[in-house]
Amino acid sequence: MSPDTALQDPLRFHRKSPPCAVVIYGANGDLTKRKLMPALYRLAYEGRLAPGFAVIGISRTAMSDDEFRSRMHDSVKKFLEDSPFDEDLWNSFAQGLYYLAGDVGDPDSYQALAKCLAEVEGSRKTEDNTLFYLSTQPSQYAEIAEGLGAAGLNKGKGWRRIVIEKPFGHDLTSARELQCRLEKVFRESEIYRIDHYLGKETVQNIMAFRFGNGIFEPLWTRTYVDHVQITAAESIGVEGRGAYYQEAGALRDMIQNHLLQVMATVTMEPASSFTSDAVRDERAKLLRAVRIMRPEQVAANAVAGQYGPGRSGSEPVIGFREEKGVDPDSQTNTFAAVTFLVDNWRWAGVPFYIRTGKSLPKRVTEIAIQFRTAPLAMFRKATAGAEALPNQLILRIQPEEGISLKFVSKRPGSGMQLRPVSMDFNYGSSFGERSPSAYETLLLDAISGDATLYTRQDMVEASWQAVQPILDYWSTQKFKFPNYAAGTWGPPAADEMLARWGHTWRRP
Amino acid sequence: MTAEKPIKPDRLLKELSDIWTTMAAPEASGAGDEAHGDGVLRACAMTLFSFVDDEVDPAALSEILAHLMKEHPSRSVVVRLKEGEDFLDARAFAQCWMPFGHRRQICCEQIEITASMNRLADVAAIIGPLAVPDLPRVIIMHSARIVRAGALRKILPLGDKIIVDSARAGAPGFGELGGLLDSGHLTGDLAWTRITDLRALIAQLLEHRTVNRIVIEYQGREASPETRYLLAWLESSLCSAKVGLKGSGGEGAGNVSAVQVDSDLSIRVTDGGAEYDLGGLHQRAAFGPGTDEQLLNIELGIVAHDPVFERTLNRITA
Repeated sequence: MSPDTALQDPLRFHRKSPPCAVVIYGANGDLTKRKLMPALYRLAYEGRLAPGFAVIGISRTAMSDDEFRSRMHDSVKKFLEDSPFDEDLWNSFAQGLYYLAGDVGDPDSYQALAKCLAEVEGSRKTEDNTLFYLSTQPSQYAEIAEGLGAAGLNKGKGWRRIVIEKPFGHDLTSARELQCRLEKVFRESEIYRIDHYLGKETVQNIMAFRFGNGIFEPLWTRTYVDHVQITAAESIGVEGRGAYYQEAGALRDMIQNHLLQVMATVTMEPASSFTSDAVRDERAKLLRAVRIMRPEQVAANAVAGQYGPGRSGSEPVIGFREEKGVDPDSQTNTFAAVTFLVDNWRWAGVPFYIRTGKSLPKRVTEIAIQFRTAPLAMFRKATAGAEALPNQLILRIQPEEGISLKFVSKRPGSGMQLRPVSMDFNYGSSFGERSPSAYETLLLDAISGDATLYTRQDMVEASWQAVQPILDYWSTQKFKFPNYAAGTWGPPAADEMLARWGHTWRRP
Repeated sequence: MTAEKPIKPDRLLKELSDIWTTMAAPEASGAGDEAHGDGVLRACAMTLFSFVDDEVDPAALSEILAHLMKEHPSRSVVVRLKEGEDFLDARAFAQCWMPFGHRRQICCEQIEITASMNRLADVAAIIGPLAVPDLPRVIIMHSARIVRAGALRKILPLGDKIIVDSARAGAPGFGELGGLLDSGHLTGDLAWTRITDLRALIAQLLEHRTVNRIVIEYQGREASPETRYLLAWLESSLCSAKVGLKGSGGEGAGNVSAVQVDSDLSIRVTDGGAEYDLGGLHQRAAFGPGTDEQLLNIELGIVAHDPVFERTLNRITA
């Protein structure tokens, strides 16, 4: 037995990561301060990082290593959730933080990075393993990758990986163009496209629920499932992000990436093993099976909405067009609802309704699987039709993460009175331990070379293909916006879309 | 002696059921009240039998069990053992808490039995049927009285796993633990759990390197169970390395104070963690708080054979 394996104790030790340097482009940005650095600190706190670990932050702002450390100290302290802050540990962690000021368009900045990486490898023993994290404008992804390639930083003694955040293009063509430029520098296996939804514990739990139990999967087919509703509702508006959001819209911002990935997780076939490519192959296969709408089918199967003035609880709320930085005649969708069909043996004919929106009545993300009703309504006379209520399985992603099964039960007493009841599993309260943030999970995966929860290019393209006809059709339309008041569940057309199938939206 | 009311498992289970019915009633759970609008959630993942001596502070024990409930919701049966006159009593109640940011209380069941040592056989007959079917049964053995009386084996059939703390006064020793392993019982020792973070750090630092010599330093005259576990673990894992102990003498509980690996790696155990120097790189690692509830949380998460622990214990007892 080699010392490496003999000392391991898989029952008790957490997974560790190999030595490496993480290079963060956009190190002075919000994502670094709020998510990345707290996640890295937390990994250090948990002892998940190797002793040979370093972070090199890069952005245009001039500052010294010590100023960078000081800023990160304040950010981590402020944004660290559910965790204590250990000043001694921070001091040890901060010794491995470095900063370079540089412009991504300046070739000299890549040479400076190369020099810094070489020094860090010697002083921090990172074994030349390097993870480039691009926390920048998406328009800079290709330029940075090309800059790294030109400086020879895409190759070395150790491994190289590059992490990019969505959006991966703004349509199918631009997604392919981006890929074309990235793959000239990095191999597909070195490109990690982050979708933080897939890093959420409860999204990962969907796979455990489906494939770790024997009793649900047999029901998980068109034979027993009537339809599926996926809702990702935000109770707030765009909150100062109007200028960005105006370019994206709900369909691009949420459905093309997060929600289609969630749908793929709920509907994919079981993978032969829980390995990166086996799982991603199944997700990709599912996304490729999503029926592509013809232009004449879009109006009946996709609804765009934009909120006008309304109320959030007791507070008055302004409409989207009144938000700062938003065109008063904006045609941007702040709500989108789409009916998808999946053309495969398991799901043929089962509608998947996906909706997402800003300024809806509450913040909730959930998947509701509605089963077919009992074949014989034997209790109809004795009840007010309660037996016709279908069973529903609700997978709650946020908040109050958990799983509920709705079914009918006899009320105590004489006579056959039925009423719906809910059997709940509450994820947070059944497992009291702290859940890692999505960024902790995903960063550790990227450092460890596990791409299971990352999106592959074929998945990106398949999901763009699914929404492209809708984007194309909507770009030719002049919508009568706003068409729903803030604080309501979207435009009436979204209800009509389901009514055509004989269904109604759940009120989460 | 006054006539004692017989204690029957069925009656205790009925009491528990009544408690749940009462708590689920709208007026008790505060249905309609915003703070309690969703009532109570009954949670159970195991049956937890805790054997303690009657002198143990009930409030402190209750606090530990409440912490455990959050991660391992269970039906908890506490058996308080005392010397002296013939005595047996039992009561059932529920322990509830409201998780931060949630609207619903989480409640777990608890049964407390107080018995004199001569009623141990009755206790076994009562608590056996109280276990929740189909879920793991774990015994936390914090009673020196049972160990002193040599009655450990009487209660073993009640559990799938027995957890002890060999570092506590009056706890079963390595010989008794080895005996439990040999008889096929799942066993956990908090003294072993206590060094998990240190072992994980050592395993990480020794990755990809050849080790010739390791010296474990401890404070005190005699090595504690934790120190002996660390020695045995390293010996059984690194066959080609020389592993030795070095005591400082004088005062001290015999716990590990430092680990020196060859000439270029030294680990110094500090409050809440460790500091290490590796080839000129000085770093700090944070360890868990090492409280009883944290250690028990870890042990309750492992209801299966633990090959590394068993290998290490066998090394000590060989």
